[in-house]
Amino acid sequence: MSPGSSIPPNLGAPRSQATERLVEALRARMARWEGSRRPPGDTPVSTGSQAIDALLPGRGFRRGTLVEWLTAGEGGGAESLALVAAREACREGGALVILDRHREFYPPEAIRQGIEPEGLIVVQAASQADNLWALDQALRCPAVAAALAWPEKLDPKTFRRMQLAVEQGGGLGLLVRPEQVRHEPSWADVRLWVRPLPSAEPGTGRRLSVELLRSRQGGGGGSVEVEFEDESHAVHLAPPRARPADPRRAAGA
Amino acid sequence: MEDSPHPQSLFLDVTGLEHLFGNEASLGQRILDALHRRGLSVRMAIADTPGAAWAAAHFEAACDGTREAACGLARLPGDPNTLSRKRLTIIPPGETPTQNALHPLPLEALRLPEQVVERLHSVGIHRIGQLEPLPRQDLALRFGPALIDRWDQALGRRAEPIPACPPARVFQVQEDLEYPTARREIVESILHRLIRRLTEMLLAGGRGAMRVDCRLDCHASVRAEHAPYEQASVRAKHAPYEAVEFSVGLFRPSASAQHLLGLVRLRLERLRIAGPVTAVSIDAATTAPLERRQEELFDLDGDRSGRSSRRLMAGLVDRLASRLGRGAVLCPRLLSDAQPERAYRYDLPKGERIQGRGAGRLATAWDRPSRPLRLIGQPMPVSVVSLVPDGPPVRFLVRGQEHRIEQVWGPERIETGWWRGPMVARDYYRVETSLGRRFWLFRRLSDGRWFLHGMFE
Repeated sequence: MSPGSSIPPNLGAPRSQATERLVEALRARMARWEGSRRPPGDTPVSTGSQAIDALLPGRGFRRGTLVEWLTAGEGGGAESLALVAAREACREGGALVILDRHREFYPPEAIRQGIEPEGLIVVQAASQADNLWALDQALRCPAVAAALAWPEKLDPKTFRRMQLAVEQGGGLGLLVRPEQVRHEPSWADVRLWVRPLPSAEPGTGRRLSVELLRSRQGGGGGSVEVEFEDESHAVHLAPPRARPADPRRAAGA
Repeated sequence: MEDSPHPQSLFLDVTGLEHLFGNEASLGQRILDALHRRGLSVRMAIADTPGAAWAAAHFEAACDGTREAACGLARLPGDPNTLSRKRLTIIPPGETPTQNALHPLPLEALRLPEQVVERLHSVGIHRIGQLEPLPRQDLALRFGPALIDRWDQALGRRAEPIPACPPARVFQVQEDLEYPTARREIVESILHRLIRRLTEMLLAGGRGAMRVDCRLDCHASVRAEHAPYEQASVRAKHAPYEAVEFSVGLFRPSASAQHLLGLVRLRLERLRIAGPVTAVSIDAATTAPLERRQEELFDLDGDRSGRSSRRLMAGLVDRLASRLGRGAVLCPRLLSDAQPERAYRYDLPKGERIQGRGAGRLATAWDRPSRPLRLIGQPMPVSVVSLVPDGPPVRFLVRGQEHRIEQVWGPERIETGWWRGPMVARDYYRVETSLGRRFWLFRRLSDGRWFLHGMFE
């Protein structure tokens, strides 16, 4: 049973008061165990795009949670969206920590897309274990607004530890992972699957399909096509154009 | 102490002290002897003013008019017999004797800036004595006020106080163990105690540690050939000692016991202790003044900017660097260079820099062209099919996978100048494949080969 699912309401038979109260109490308990320890009044962090915000039940990412961005391989476009979200998270101050284990991160482009160089730290760990430890430390630090990492293998214990760390730190943990893990269980609050699409007309921004695979707050399965205008360096992701494109067919081609 | 990066002179105010030693000459000799015993070779001068004393100590009037260079403190194999009278110059008190002593000395003895000295040389003035007949206002106008000031200071017409130099405080703590132990918990608890004492000392002095050196004196592992019936103490005396030393560097001065202990512990985990530890000593090798932290009245939960967050970031950087190494935690800085892989450099974080200040300004379209988020370290050769020999690519093969290109942006020609070493001349193309993936390819102009340089993730 995946965590985050609510108790299905008992349709049909009317419930007595006592049963109602019991159900409410159980719901509250489950929310406390599985939900975040952040105060409920926290405003969510926008994903940087209204279109993707609309996909999420909370209309944004909850602070102190992990977000998975599943990428369909090289040149896929998931990282760009993750970076947009990171920029939103850093809007009120706070640093962005990049866990660049493979030393392929290119800072000039991140800076061009609006990340403040003064608030950017790149950590180049030598081993996967060190990388995960550094990610844990960064997530735990309240001064870090967002941490972006490409973790290789996340066993459930480590994953849970990361989730607890980011809950304590209060920032956003952005994990870019290969799409092969999409059926694995997750301790992330939100799991998004980003797939590239051929762009509508030549000269426009690149099109991406973003699908919400799961969310702790319920909901899931919605998807949206967005346009990422990297040429004009604009951050807002426009809603899809008229021309439809089936992401499943394009990916399988 | 002279205020310069490599101090070479010491100023001592000995007014009124000479009667304790008989006269000035014997006072001077006593000081010279003491310094010589430390192995230092010194020239000394006693005069009315610091300026005159400096001049007399550094320069001697040579008969042929050449300058004698100033000597610094040098280490000599100490031989008291080489001390000669000439090493000590005493200028009798009074303005006239001072003036007479300064007369034959070259201009550099006045501690003037180089440009002024050069200008004076160019008009033929080489000695202090030559300045005297010249009108003072004109000298000041022509060569700057520094000349007149220094001259007055040397002659005593202008006061020059000697700033006192407080002795450098030493922050060091040590504990010797009665019973050598190899157990880590005990060593850690000793470190904990020592660090607490050290931080108390630091706080009392208002300073924070920037580098902490720890040293564990251990017995090397006892060899088997020692006769087992020998007493442990005797064995210990003969066993060779080994010292395990490590250093922890901090990004910002800290006097927090918890933080220092955390960093030291991180290092200790990776250390191999050679044998039972007999002594532990910790030395705050480099310290810096601690900034005063005003206690915040309302500690806002969501407030990520401000001093507390800078402190937290510094703590994070320290922890990461302590375990991963200083070179693993980096701050990127943009460089203006056409070659993409050189358009930035990584610096070590320093000081106050790490602090997000909110979302950055978005570069406008005409600022810079778009670049891939992921750049491969070594551009990867790929085989490319293009319709026209020098034209844009149509298909390319990388890592066994073939991509059909639907859209191409480019070429963007990037060339570097010959003065930069091996020339780079590339035509870059941004391509989008039939699946919508975007890559950054370039064709090397020298031989026409194609490479993959990055992916637009």
